[in-house]
Amino acid sequence: MFRHTPLRYATLVLLASVALFRVFTAEYFGLEILTEIFILAVLVLALDMVAGFGGMVSLCHGALMGVGAYAYVMLSTIAGIAPPVAMAGAIAVTGVAAWVIGAICARSHGIYFIMATLAFGQMAYSYVFEAPIFGGDDGLGGISRLDLSFVGIDLNDSRSFAFFCLAILAAVYGTAVLILRSGLGRSLSGVMHNEQRMRALGLTVWRVKADVFGLSGMIAGLAGVLAAQHIMYISPGLLSWTVSGEALVVVILGGVGTLIGPLVGAVAFVMLKHELSAVTTYWHLVVGCILIAVVMSRANGIFGWLEDRWGARIDRRAADATRNQKTEEVASDA
Amino acid sequence: MTIDLGFWTLQTLNALQLSMLLFLLSVGLTVIFGLMHFVNLAHGALYALGAYFAASLAAVGGYWMGFFLAPVAVAGVGVLLYTGLIQRMRKSGPMAQVLVTFGLIFALLDLTRIFWGDLALAIEVPGILSGRLAFLGVEYPTYRLFIIVLGTAILAALSLVLSRTQIGAMIRAGVDNDAMAACLGINVERLFFIVFCVGCALAGLAGAVAAPLLSVTPEMGLQILIPTLIVIVIGGLGSLKGAIAGSLIYGFVQTFGAVLAPQLASVLIYALLAAVLVIKPVGLFPAKG
Amino acid sequence: MLETRNLDKSFGAVHVTRDVSLKLERGERRVILGPNGAGKTTLFNQLVGELASDKGSVHLAGEDVTALAVAKRARRGLSRSYQKNTLFDGLTVEENLGLAASIHTGHATTLWSDSLAKPEVREIVQDVANQVNLMPFLHANVSEISYGVRRQLEVGVALATRPLVLLMDEPTSGVGPEMAKGFHDLLNNLPRDLTLLIIEHDMDLAFDVADTITVLNYGEVVFDGLPQEARGSSLLKEIYLGSWEDA
Repeated sequence: MFRHTPLRYATLVLLASVALFRVFTAEYFGLEILTEIFILAVLVLALDMVAGFGGMVSLCHGALMGVGAYAYVMLSTIAGIAPPVAMAGAIAVTGVAAWVIGAICARSHGIYFIMATLAFGQMAYSYVFEAPIFGGDDGLGGISRLDLSFVGIDLNDSRSFAFFCLAILAAVYGTAVLILRSGLGRSLSGVMHNEQRMRALGLTVWRVKADVFGLSGMIAGLAGVLAAQHIMYISPGLLSWTVSGEALVVVILGGVGTLIGPLVGAVAFVMLKHELSAVTTYWHLVVGCILIAVVMSRANGIFGWLEDRWGARIDRRAADATRNQKTEEVASDA
Repeated sequence: MTIDLGFWTLQTLNALQLSMLLFLLSVGLTVIFGLMHFVNLAHGALYALGAYFAASLAAVGGYWMGFFLAPVAVAGVGVLLYTGLIQRMRKSGPMAQVLVTFGLIFALLDLTRIFWGDLALAIEVPGILSGRLAFLGVEYPTYRLFIIVLGTAILAALSLVLSRTQIGAMIRAGVDNDAMAACLGINVERLFFIVFCVGCALAGLAGAVAAPLLSVTPEMGLQILIPTLIVIVIGGLGSLKGAIAGSLIYGFVQTFGAVLAPQLASVLIYALLAAVLVIKPVGLFPAKG
Repeated sequence: MLETRNLDKSFGAVHVTRDVSLKLERGERRVILGPNGAGKTTLFNQLVGELASDKGSVHLAGEDVTALAVAKRARRGLSRSYQKNTLFDGLTVEENLGLAASIHTGHATTLWSDSLAKPEVREIVQDVANQVNLMPFLHANVSEISYGVRRQLEVGVALATRPLVLLMDEPTSGVGPEMAKGFHDLLNNLPRDLTLLIIEHDMDLAFDVADTITVLNYGEVVFDGLPQEARGSSLLKEIYLGSWEDA
């Protein structure tokens, strides 16, 4: 069950301030990297919702993001629908697709769930790859960004677009917290901790799983819309299963089931990728080794390790502080 | 379009050839899973390694040197992987295993690029297997027939080993209940090790025989992984029967789908997989009821 | 309130329950006795739908629920606790009860509010915590409380769905005789209109709470009647002594 601890608040404030600072100060290349981080962060928040709080380890979230991207482009560029409506439409389409996948896979567990979601992701990938309407291997271009000129913001400017993505990331984080704290989110944790008991208590388990998977899919779809607007070009590669795998890697690298960990993971992953690819073309080798080391270390990613190490101490100190405060209050009352 | 008997024979042979290649890959993966509950996503990378070893060895000593030594070399890599990683990851959950082996895919992909470069390599088919054979009224490449025969021979050998030998009985006991097998005095750890290495060797063999058909590239492991996973999920994790059934289903659906309904071909197999998962979430022939 | 007609279940060649017919009136407290392997837990699984019956039917409050899935039966008022604790590990006692209560109040699937903060849910949590003596542990994590308290929570979670019929599978399993006695006082203090079906191993303890007794042996009902009749029954002694000798 999701809880905000002092360490989590502190990390959140720190991440937000650094992000804001960098958005205002970074140059073009830096802004591109920042935008990439923000969009990846939206995707991994969606994935952590289902993997970390529902035990549904999905290997189709990359594909869902791709579905969102393609739906946006089909609606806006091909069908000529206004970008805001096309965005909403793309999110809805991805949500429905995810709901159906979630409903079908709800009965599968563990490795079967992973495989089943992988299959659905690949299904979307090969469909997009083969169907001529989607432009095949060449992909689709000429994508327009959202027009916010009526409030004086030009999203074709990298800084504005980075800021826009950051704002959406913040909204998505808030939404994810609200979802996890809603009745549905609580029931999902119940299902993760003990599915059999939740069923015996009268919960229609598959519906809860499908609903949250659908919501998570909507967020993944939003990430896809942002990605399409960011690069202004999409190709089937977006839906490749390795993208889903990378998203999972980011969640694990940061700390699954913490929401904040995946944010940390997204920062670490994108920075690492750019720093390493500047030095060597074999950056996958380094990332692969780091991933193996993180998983073998048994720590719950970077943030999970931090929580184990420092969190207990900080939380205890905070508890002491409130207790002291109360004692003081009692003392002053007397 | 005129569809004659020759067309069907040809497509059936194509389907069988694809099935047998997939069988070589999936049987190792599935028995490893059945026995150790370990999912090795890097199995495809081992297949790619097999192809590269075969290509390098063939350049030195001809095709047959690659054919016989590549599986041994890949089994050697398997030994390193098993002692270094797999052994320690056995008790972890499926997510950790998927991720560690995903990391391995990353690492092995780049290692092959470092050692062999980005350019595709090619292997010559040996003289005795080159050319075509007149067969059931069609002319079919001898090398592809060789793959079908090889796959069938390995299938026969494996089912014989599993059903008739002591080690086969031990594997079956281990798949059924590894704790019980350990209680019965079976050295389960050694059994795991042997099965893992044999699985790796078969993946290497698949890579070696596939190399002359396809060009050898670093991505070939990634490309084969998904079909292999589909095979074992449709067939049911852990069983030899499942691996055979899954391979045949995949081979035939893919081959005939591509000819008869080209628009649907790529989606067809995934739709079939989804249907299997809905109706029988554990696959058609799971190792355990 | 709860009725079974001719329930049967076999696993392969093993016939686990045979032709079990029971009828519980509203508010009745019935204890099922029987040696290990008599089919008591299997019967429970058949009642709640976790196991499909080969034959026979289950009726809850006059409705045939045989074809209904586990969750649907639960929502109609059939709740159970397990012999082995089946709790939400890692969550607090309050959250454990709250999850169950939110399913009953219909807040378990809402997206617009926190089910655990709902007044109706909180009220049930408080009520149940009082009923099963969990008040001091509400904010403790399940991993921090003792085994005995966990047994209380096991029953509490089942109670928090406000069932019409509560099935308890050896609620005192694994706790000492002293605590088991306390447990039975607790059961006696539950609302009188709640129908209870309890699997119990210990005969003396069973007589503390039972209005009626059913004895199962080799999957068959071999005794169905009042506790005082059961006490003198030579059949019962034989079954239990027999099972002792086997053990």
